[in-house]
Amino acid sequence: MLQFLASGIAIGCVYGMIGMALAITFYVTRIINFAQGQLMMVTVMVTAELVGQGYSPWVGVAAGLAASAVVGVLSYLIAVRPILAFNRFGFGWLVSTLGFAAIVENAAAYFWGPTSIPFPTILNSTSVHFGDAAVLTGQQILAIVVALLAGAAFELVRRHTLFGKIGMATAADPEMASAFGINTKTVAMVAFAASALLAGLAGVMIGPSTFANPYLGDTFGTYGFIAMMIGGGTERPITALYGGILLGISAEGANAFVNSRASDWFPFLVLALILVVSPRGLFSSTGPLARLRPVRAGR
Amino acid sequence: MTSARTKKLKPSGTAVPQPPLRRGALIGGLAVIAYLLLTFFVAKANLSIQSVVLVAAVFAVLAISLDLVAGMLGLYSLGQGGFFGIGAYVTTILAGQFGWDVFLLLFVVLAVTGVAGALVGAMSLRVSGLHFAITTFIVTLVLTVLETNLEITGGLQGQLGPAFPDFPKALSGLGAPVAWCIMLALLLCVGLVWNIRRSPLYPVLLSIRDAEPFAEAAGVRTSLIKVGLFSLSAAIAGGAGWLFSFLGVVSPGQFDWSVSLNVLVMVLVGGINTTFGPIIGAMFVSMFPVVVNINPWIQEILYGALSIAAITFLPEGVIGVGRRLLAGKRSGATAAAHTDARPPEAIAAGDPSVDIVAQGGEVIARRAPLDEIMLECRGIECGYGRGPKVLRGVDLVVRRGEIHGLIGPNGSGKSTLANVIAGRLTPTAGTVILKSQPVNGQPPSSRAKLGLRRTFQAAELVREITTAQNVTVGLYDRIPGIVRRAALWPMLPSGRRDTAITQRQAVDSLVAVGAAEWAAERVGDVPHGIEQLTQLAAVCIAAPDILILDEPATGLSAREVAHLARILADLRSQGVTMIIIEHQTRFLFPLCDQVTVLNLGEVILTGTADEVRAHPVVRQVYLGE
Amino acid sequence: MSTTAPHALDISGLNAGYGRFDVIRDIALKVGTGEAVGLLGPNGAGKTTVLRSIMGLIRQRRGSIQVAGTDVVAMPPFRIARGLAALAPEGRRLFVEQTVEDNLILGGLHLRHDTARHEALLASVYELFPVLKSYRKRLSSYLSGGEQQMVAIGRMLMSDPEIMLLDEPSVALSPVAVDIVVKALIELRRRGASLLLVEQRIDVAIRVCDRLYVMTHGEIVEEMTPEAARGAGMSLIDKYLG
Repeated sequence: MLQFLASGIAIGCVYGMIGMALAITFYVTRIINFAQGQLMMVTVMVTAELVGQGYSPWVGVAAGLAASAVVGVLSYLIAVRPILAFNRFGFGWLVSTLGFAAIVENAAAYFWGPTSIPFPTILNSTSVHFGDAAVLTGQQILAIVVALLAGAAFELVRRHTLFGKIGMATAADPEMASAFGINTKTVAMVAFAASALLAGLAGVMIGPSTFANPYLGDTFGTYGFIAMMIGGGTERPITALYGGILLGISAEGANAFVNSRASDWFPFLVLALILVVSPRGLFSSTGPLARLRPVRAGR
Repeated sequence: MTSARTKKLKPSGTAVPQPPLRRGALIGGLAVIAYLLLTFFVAKANLSIQSVVLVAAVFAVLAISLDLVAGMLGLYSLGQGGFFGIGAYVTTILAGQFGWDVFLLLFVVLAVTGVAGALVGAMSLRVSGLHFAITTFIVTLVLTVLETNLEITGGLQGQLGPAFPDFPKALSGLGAPVAWCIMLALLLCVGLVWNIRRSPLYPVLLSIRDAEPFAEAAGVRTSLIKVGLFSLSAAIAGGAGWLFSFLGVVSPGQFDWSVSLNVLVMVLVGGINTTFGPIIGAMFVSMFPVVVNINPWIQEILYGALSIAAITFLPEGVIGVGRRLLAGKRSGATAAAHTDARPPEAIAAGDPSVDIVAQGGEVIARRAPLDEIMLECRGIECGYGRGPKVLRGVDLVVRRGEIHGLIGPNGSGKSTLANVIAGRLTPTAGTVILKSQPVNGQPPSSRAKLGLRRTFQAAELVREITTAQNVTVGLYDRIPGIVRRAALWPMLPSGRRDTAITQRQAVDSLVAVGAAEWAAERVGDVPHGIEQLTQLAAVCIAAPDILILDEPATGLSAREVAHLARILADLRSQGVTMIIIEHQTRFLFPLCDQVTVLNLGEVILTGTADEVRAHPVVRQVYLGE
Repeated sequence: MSTTAPHALDISGLNAGYGRFDVIRDIALKVGTGEAVGLLGPNGAGKTTVLRSIMGLIRQRRGSIQVAGTDVVAMPPFRIARGLAALAPEGRRLFVEQTVEDNLILGGLHLRHDTARHEALLASVYELFPVLKSYRKRLSSYLSGGEQQMVAIGRMLMSDPEIMLLDEPSVALSPVAVDIVVKALIELRRRGASLLLVEQRIDVAIRVCDRLYVMTHGEIVEEMTPEAARGAGMSLIDKYLG
């Protein structure tokens, strides 16, 4: 009975991390990076490749994350910054980030071929039983733990560290931020690197189930985007995580209660309904759950 | 200014000479003939060439449909894939499984997607910008899911679309009829957009995009136009789907979110808000994989790199950049505007009107204001959220024919009061009564129908088009059938006649305010003072009964200010009631019958100009003594 | 004023704008070290454009802008903000989602490693505006207009700049708040700060400044002493502000 809830939360955490990654770059630059899914894929492919060549999984994951971070910063420097410099309010970034995504995805397909290669199992083989109600693999529990840690870490950094405050200032008023000594280009690069790391982590969590495939970025990028929209991550990145969990639960729930293909369409129905009710997301300032947001000084 | 008082355009009975058929029409005719020859060639060509060209043509139609709303109205939509899909599936299912006639289906498709488009367009009134784009994106996603999972659509593999009916025997020499149908549809779309661009509706659309407050204040029902144009754009996209269904299999993957994105890419790369840009973009995107026939992955990498390069180095698109280069050459030849030089003044030295005002004499006999109350504000309160109220208990009475000044330091709430009277802001308390009718809750466009017009402190105009074109927006509700006739405008004799009339009236209006030299200059290229005068021309052309001017003299030279004073006195002699917000008291006081002083949101004093000038409170508010 | 030490601010031949026509032309003004200079003029004269040009926020600018001897006309704003100039802009523009103290800390970013100096600057801000100390942890959006202006000035102080730029600090403030702001600016002057103050309120400018420039239509047209301005009174309002 509770199985769908448990597995829903687990997969939802993966979607949520990607959504949060998207939301972080949106927060700082006000654009949606269409190459986000591909940044997740880079980690997965590099990790799979290195482990396949005999390196330890730790080395593989570390290298994969580093590679994503580099590609993420490159996506900013090549596909975002020049466009924003010309016109901050146009939609040119849509063309350039899409182009960048095409380059990364097809470069990966060219290098590794279009079919999947194996990904180290990590914790996928162990399973934990919660009484009779639910069973989760170690990998799923790891995903939940990592997502919650990442979310907590993000909020901690955002609210209580100097860099977080610099980031908030840059997001709120970039002109005034630069007038007080903040190099907005550096802030953006760090944001893009952080979001790439987050997406890469999500990839490491899901890799054992999906294997390493160059086209992973498309599906997971879309789901991450939906997670962000459901939650309201365009205002506060952390809500993308909540949105992802909701998305995961509704997908697994549809599978459990309707039929096994319902997870294809049910989440979209949910999303459409939510957007009609609250176009900026459930947890945004105009959403119905807005009052659940604690009002404290220093937020 | 007497010509501006004419309520409607001259009726068709008057002998207005028709503009001669220009060389342009000849070139246009030759282009159409060349296009028809191309169509003939395509219709007779082999299947592989035909399908490449026809698919590109269908996408060109799609791209044009998007440019209608994205380029002209600034509504970026990622829903074209969805409407495209509705058109294709409705055609395929109803023709294939229920045997409906394909031509009847065209009308069905246009109607269905038109309605769907209106619904989606209505959403644009709630959310804007990026969020609207995302909402349309979701619409496409949802439709894709429906297409994949409903039994009737054939699922992921889709269905074979219907076959296009053959030509009658007599015409069979023309080749494949579907080619003619698609190419002619494209020509029709190009014609539609071409005509709209040359109608008075075009500046109105751009003003909704760039300066919505200005459009609303001119009486334009912006919500209606947005929904209507969106509906048209969706219908065209649906029509593209109808066309597409004849080209082969119809499956969900051809109408999903990536298609929506690609259509936007086509528009942006080709040149947004241009007639031929979307076609160039469609050719680039859809023909690239065919023309560049190498390893599929290298090809995609090349495509990605090219699109990044295109948008980085040609940010306005291919056609957009070309257009700018041409415009640059033209303006360089006419006005050598070196930025070191002072921007030229509107009034040349030696203008006799300047001397009259400078002598301090009254130009035109002051007609005493009548007793009728044109505008009344009772107890207006206005605040933003938590902070102190911007306006507190403001009362104002303005009689017909009166010039009422509104002064006060920056931040005293003058512009806020203007916005409340004009309908841009809703007061938290109090009523606004216009011509004895309470107008609380009415939008600016409704108040414009009562004869109210206003200008803005920071000039709200469309920078991309000329001052004269901006001024024609002021004639919006005096041009009969401006929306109805737009699709055919330059082809209609009445359209060409009305264009000539509106152009002339716009130029006359600019002459009257003293900005005649700038009639053909883009607003982005004119100095600030001319922007102010353009705004003034745009409101005067509508022969308003009551006019609100928000700091009209800001940025004007002494000569321009004197000329402005003469214009306003002239207007007053024609019975126009005015509320003028200003700081320049030397300009304002001689004109005003009454002056109200605001400070920190409250009315400090109302009286004649002399009373106000002498009152110690005013000195205190400005000088702090 | 020493003739060998460079002026806090020395502008000559400054032209700047957006688009085809420059908004300000051939601007020349000086602010000596420890001097408070006012820039008066009507709306649309270009006063804000001058301040924004100094701060590097206007891309289309050319001429010479020297801050304590360093030419900043080609520098990006974040570099100018690190100890050369600081701006309290029109409308305050605080970082509204942050507390008072965070706004102040963000003002002094480039000094955060010099803890002693940073603490001293923070203490001096709280000494100037004691009410801010009790509101340290309050979200800046919950403050009144006058209190927000205090934070804006404090934020400017935290970067310890060579020249402080203020854009209409008295706008929309109650008379009491204006008085507090004026007294604070006078105290800053007493402490040796160099100020360039843009104002529409002549009385504020007269109380704070050592010298006044008047701008109209993008150019500086006159330079005068506060005494002369006080004497001119209403006719000054007529002449330049209307």
